[in-house]
Amino acid sequence: MDKKLATYICTGCGIGEALDIEQLSKVAQKECKAALVKTHACLCGQDGVAMLKADIQNEGVNCLMIAACSPRVMYDVFRFDGCLVDRVNLREQVAWSQKPGDEDTQMMAEDYLRMSAAKIGKMDPPEPYKPEEEISKDILIVGGGVAGLTAAKEVSRAGYKAVLVEREKELGGFQRKVAKIATFPYKGLKDNDVEALVQEVSKDGNVTVYTGAKIEKTVGGPGVFKVTIAQNGAVKEHKVGAIVMAAGWKPYDPSQLDPKLGYGQSPNVITNVQFEEMAKNGGVKRPSDGAVPNNVAFLQCAGQRDPEKLPYCSSVCCTTSLKQAIFIKETNPEANVYIFFKEMRTPGQAEDLYRKAQEEGVIFIRCQDPQVKASGASVTVEALDDLLGDTVLLEDLDLVVLATGMVPVTAFGEDYAQVRARLRAGETEQKKEEEELEVPQDAILVSDILNLEYRQGPELPGLRYGFPDSHFICFPYETRRTGIYAAGCVRRPMGVAAAFEDGAGAAMKAIQCVEMVSQGKAVHPRAGDMSFPEFFMQRCTQCKRCTEECPFGAINEDEKGNPLPQPTRCRRCGVCMGACPERIISFKNYSVGMIGDIIKSIEVPEEDEEKPRIVVLACENDAYPALDMAGLRRMTYNAWVRVIPMRCLGSMNLIFIADALSKGIDGVLLLGCKYGDDYQCHFVKGSELANIRLSKVKETLDRLVLESDRVRFETVAISDYDKLPKILDDFAETLEGVGPNPYKGF
Amino acid sequence: MSIKVDPNLMKDLKHFGLKDASKCFHCGNCTAVCPLSETGTPFPRKLVKYAQMGLKDKILQSTEPWLCYYCGTCSDNCPRGADPGETMMVMRRYLTSLYDWTGFSRKFYTSEKFEIMAVIVTGLFVGLLMLLIHGEFDWQHASLEKAWPAHGMEIADLIMASILSFFLLTNVYRFMKFTMGDLLTKIPLRIYASQAKELVLHFLTQKRWAKCEDRTQWVIHLLIMTGYTTAFILVAVLLAGGLAVLGLTWEPLRFQRPFDPATGRDVIYPIFHPIRLLGYYATVAILIGATYALIGRFKRSKAPYKNSHGTDWMFLVLLELTVITGICVHILRLMDIPFATYAMYILHLMIAVPMLVLEVPFSKWSHLAYRPMAAYLKGVKEKYFAEIQGAQAQAPAAESAQAEA
Repeated sequence: MDKKLATYICTGCGIGEALDIEQLSKVAQKECKAALVKTHACLCGQDGVAMLKADIQNEGVNCLMIAACSPRVMYDVFRFDGCLVDRVNLREQVAWSQKPGDEDTQMMAEDYLRMSAAKIGKMDPPEPYKPEEEISKDILIVGGGVAGLTAAKEVSRAGYKAVLVEREKELGGFQRKVAKIATFPYKGLKDNDVEALVQEVSKDGNVTVYTGAKIEKTVGGPGVFKVTIAQNGAVKEHKVGAIVMAAGWKPYDPSQLDPKLGYGQSPNVITNVQFEEMAKNGGVKRPSDGAVPNNVAFLQCAGQRDPEKLPYCSSVCCTTSLKQAIFIKETNPEANVYIFFKEMRTPGQAEDLYRKAQEEGVIFIRCQDPQVKASGASVTVEALDDLLGDTVLLEDLDLVVLATGMVPVTAFGEDYAQVRARLRAGETEQKKEEEELEVPQDAILVSDILNLEYRQGPELPGLRYGFPDSHFICFPYETRRTGIYAAGCVRRPMGVAAAFEDGAGAAMKAIQCVEMVSQGKAVHPRAGDMSFPEFFMQRCTQCKRCTEECPFGAINEDEKGNPLPQPTRCRRCGVCMGACPERIISFKNYSVGMIGDIIKSIEVPEEDEEKPRIVVLACENDAYPALDMAGLRRMTYNAWVRVIPMRCLGSMNLIFIADALSKGIDGVLLLGCKYGDDYQCHFVKGSELANIRLSKVKETLDRLVLESDRVRFETVAISDYDKLPKILDDFAETLEGVGPNPYKGF
Repeated sequence: MSIKVDPNLMKDLKHFGLKDASKCFHCGNCTAVCPLSETGTPFPRKLVKYAQMGLKDKILQSTEPWLCYYCGTCSDNCPRGADPGETMMVMRRYLTSLYDWTGFSRKFYTSEKFEIMAVIVTGLFVGLLMLLIHGEFDWQHASLEKAWPAHGMEIADLIMASILSFFLLTNVYRFMKFTMGDLLTKIPLRIYASQAKELVLHFLTQKRWAKCEDRTQWVIHLLIMTGYTTAFILVAVLLAGGLAVLGLTWEPLRFQRPFDPATGRDVIYPIFHPIRLLGYYATVAILIGATYALIGRFKRSKAPYKNSHGTDWMFLVLLELTVITGICVHILRLMDIPFATYAMYILHLMIAVPMLVLEVPFSKWSHLAYRPMAAYLKGVKEKYFAEIQGAQAQAPAAESAQAEA
C-alpha cells in the first residue's frame, strides 16, 4: 500500500491553549513527513469530519494521524474504511494531565506525533482471515439437561441448526429425577415441566439429537470444528461453528463427608439427591421402616464451604432444602421440620421461598457445626445455636437430610499435567530440558467430555474448583477456549431458573461467534478485530513458547514442535508475539518491529539537559484507560513519561526493554492488570506472563551493564487512576537516584 | 445443658395473639433500633427466637417483655414484617398467664367466650349484691349516701381490695421467683431497699418510656394512669374520708359527702373544691386516654394499635364504660332523678368492679405491678453485679499491694 500520511491536529478541548500548535505542525511536517498537516478547532464536529473525508477523497490521503482526544472516545467518528487511522492522545494524556504551555508538555506532544508516525509507518491494513474449509454455522450442544435443551431451542428459534449430544439414554438431565421444582416466582412449589421442553426439542427439525452418545474427538476451531460423535458403536462426524458446553454436574460424593454428619451410619441419614429420588418415586418415607417421617432435619453446607471438601457454596442447596422442607410440610402438616444452616443463601427471588417455609412453620437453627449421632434407626442432631449460644438437641429424628453440593463434571478425571509428565518420561533428557517452562499451566482434567485435539489439553481449563470459567463477572459464558461457551451447572452451581437463562445466554454467544468468524473477525474481547497473528516459519526454532503460553490454546503443534496456528481460535491478544524469542510473530497492524520503531522515535535529550525519559508500556484495557481517567480528572503526573498502549501486557517482548534502554531511555514501566486468583486481565494471564518474562530481564540488563531498578512492573485496575500519578512520580524519583542512562547519545 | 426445641409452643402462642413471629430471620434490626434495649437486656429479637424455638423456660425467666413499652419502632423497621413489638406484647400476655397460679388468667386470655362470661357473671353478681344489700332508697331526692352509705361501701371496697391484692401479690411473687431464680434470696435486702425508690418512681412515671421515639403513647398512658390513680384514691381511699372502719376519717377529704337532712340531699362540694376538681381531672384524663386508644385500635393507626387481642378491647371498653357511666351518675345525681341515679350507679359498679377484679390480678392491668417491678429488679441486679465486680477488682489490687509490701 502506498501510504499518504496526513496529520490533523485538533485545537479544541483545551489542546490549543496547552500546546504550541504551530510548532507541533512543523514537527508533523518535517519529522513525520506528513504530506498534509491541518489544524481544526473541533475535529470531531461535522465540519472537521467533512474536512477529513474531503482530503481522503480529493487528496488521496489514506493514512490519518489524528492528534486529538483519546482513542477510547470518538472511535466511531474517526473510522474511515480503507484508511489507516492512528489516534494521538493529545487531550487526556497531554493537555489535561500536564502543565499547560510548559516546555516539557510541548516535548511530550511532539514525541507522541513522532511515535504515531513510526507506528503508521509499520502498519498495514488487516485482511480478514478466511479458512480454507467451508465455515459451518451449526452449533454443537453438549448435554441435554435444562441448559442444553434451552440452548438447542434458542439456537433453533434464531434460525440456526443445532446438534445435541447427551450421554444418558434420555434427555432431561438431572431435572428428570426431580418431583417438584423451585423457580420463579418462588411463592411455592411448582410441578416439574422438563418433559414439555424435552418434547419440544425432540420434535424440532433444526435440532439433531444424539442420546446415549459421547464426543470422541473435537478438532479445529470456531467455524471449522469437526466433531466425532459415537453412538451405539456407530460413529458420526459433524462440522460445527461453535460449541455450547452444558454437560452438567454430579452430586458430591457423600461417602467423603465428615463422619460426624452421620452419613452411612443410619439408613435414615440421606442426601438431598436421595430425597429427590424418594419424592419422585412414591413419596418420602423413613428409609429404615417406610413410615411417614414426622421429625425431619436438614443440615445445610454438608461438606461445602469447607476447604477440605468442597470449598465453595453451591448456591442452590438452601433453596433445595427449603423446597424439600415445604414438600414435607405440604404432605404432612403435622411434621416437625428443622433446618440447620450457617447462612441461609437464597439468591434473587428465592428469598420468597424462605418466607414460605417460615410461614409453614419450619424451624431454622443457625449453627456452624452440627453433629449427627446415628445408630441404627435412631438419629439425633446436636448443634450449638449461634443465636442462643446454647446447644440444641433434637432427638428421635425420622430423617436427616444432608444438603450436599454440586460438582461440575469437568472437575473429574486425571490432571493433564500428570498425563504430560508421563508422556515426557519416555523422552530423552535433552528434550525434557527444552520443555522446562516456568509458565503457569492451566488446570485441565481429562474428564472425557469434549476430547479436544488441542496442544494444551483435551478439555476446558478450569479456573477454580474445576469450573471451566474465564472470568465470572466480566465475561459470562466465556471459557478459555474460543467458541466454546459454558452454560448451566458446569459453569457454576445454579438452580433450574438460572439454567434456563444460561442456556439461552450461551446460545446467543455461540451464534455471535459463528457470525463473527464467518466474517474473519475476532470475537470477545477484541470483537471485530480483523488482524490475526502471522508466523514467519522459516525462522522458527521450535521452542514451543507460543504454543505453551497462548492463554486460549489457539496454537497446535506438529510432531517436530512447529506451531500450527488456528486463527479462528485466536483472541488477538498478542501473547505469542511477546513470547517469541525469535520475534517471528506479528500482526498486520501490531508487531515487534512496530513497537521497536515507536520506541526509537522518541527523542532522548542529552544527559546535561536533565530531562529523563520513561517508556510506559500500558495495557490498553485497564492501565491506559486509567491514565485517561487521571487526565479526565485533571490529575497532573510526571512529564518524562511516554505511553505506548499494548493489546495486552502479555504481548510485551523483552526486546522492547532492550530497545528502550540501549537508546538511552532511563527507565521502562510496565503497567498491567492484576493477576492471580482474582485476576482482572482481559486475556486471563497476559500480565502474569509479562511479569514472568521480566524475571529474565536481568540478563538483558547485565548485558547492557545497567541497574535492574530501571525496569518496574506495576498492576493497576481501571479504578486505580488516582494512584497513577504517584506510581509514575515514584518511579521517576527512583530513576533520579539511579542516575541517567549511560547510553544517551550513543 | 442442651435445649429441647418445642415446635408446639408457637401454636399455643397463637391464642395469645401471635401472628408474624415466624417471619423473623434474625437480622437484629429491631434490637438495634430499640431505644430501650440494652446490652444486658437485649430485646425484642431474643424473645422472637425463644418463641420460634418454643423455649418456654427461657421465656419464663425473661423480664425483657416488661421493659418494653411497645412504641412500635421495631415493628416499623422490621424488613420482614415480623412485627417484633407484637411478639413482645404476646409475651406479656403469655407471661401474665404463666405467673398466675390459679390458671384463671390463661383461660381469660385463650378464650374470648370465657372472658366475656367472666365479666358478665361478675357484673351480675355485683348488681345482685347491690340490690340485696342497700340502705334506704329515697325516691324524693337522689341520695347515694342513703342508698349505699359510704361506710358500708368502704367495707365492700376493702374486701375487694384484699382479694385482688392477694392474687396480684402472689402472682408478683411468682414473677420474682421465675425471673430472679437463686438471686432472689442471694441479693442482700440492703440492695433491695436502696433501690426501692426506683420502684415507686417507675410506677408513677414510667420514665423509661420517655426514651421511645413516639412520646404520644407515653403521654396517653400517663393520662390514663394518673386519671385512674386519682380515681382510685378518691373512691377507694377517700370514699368515707380515710379508714372509717377504724375511725380514721378526715371529713374534709371525704369523697362521698354525707346526707344533709336540711336539703334532703347529699352534700356536694362547691365546683372549685379540690376534691371535685380532682374527680373531674380523673374523668377527663381517662376519657381522653381511653378514647384515643380505642380510636387508634379501631383505625390501626400505628404499630402498637395494629393488632388487638380480645383482652385489649375488653380492658379499654370496660374503662371507657366505667367513665361514661360515672359521668352519667354524676349528672343524674345533680339533676336529682332518684331512680335513674340508683340504676346508673348499679350499672357503674357492675362495670367497674369486674374490671378491677378481673383485669388487675389476672389480665392486662396486672402490668401495673410487673412493669415497675421488672425495672426495679433490673436495677437491683445491676447494682448487685456491680458490687461483686467492684469487690473482685479490689481483691487482686489488695493482693498485689500486699505482695509489694
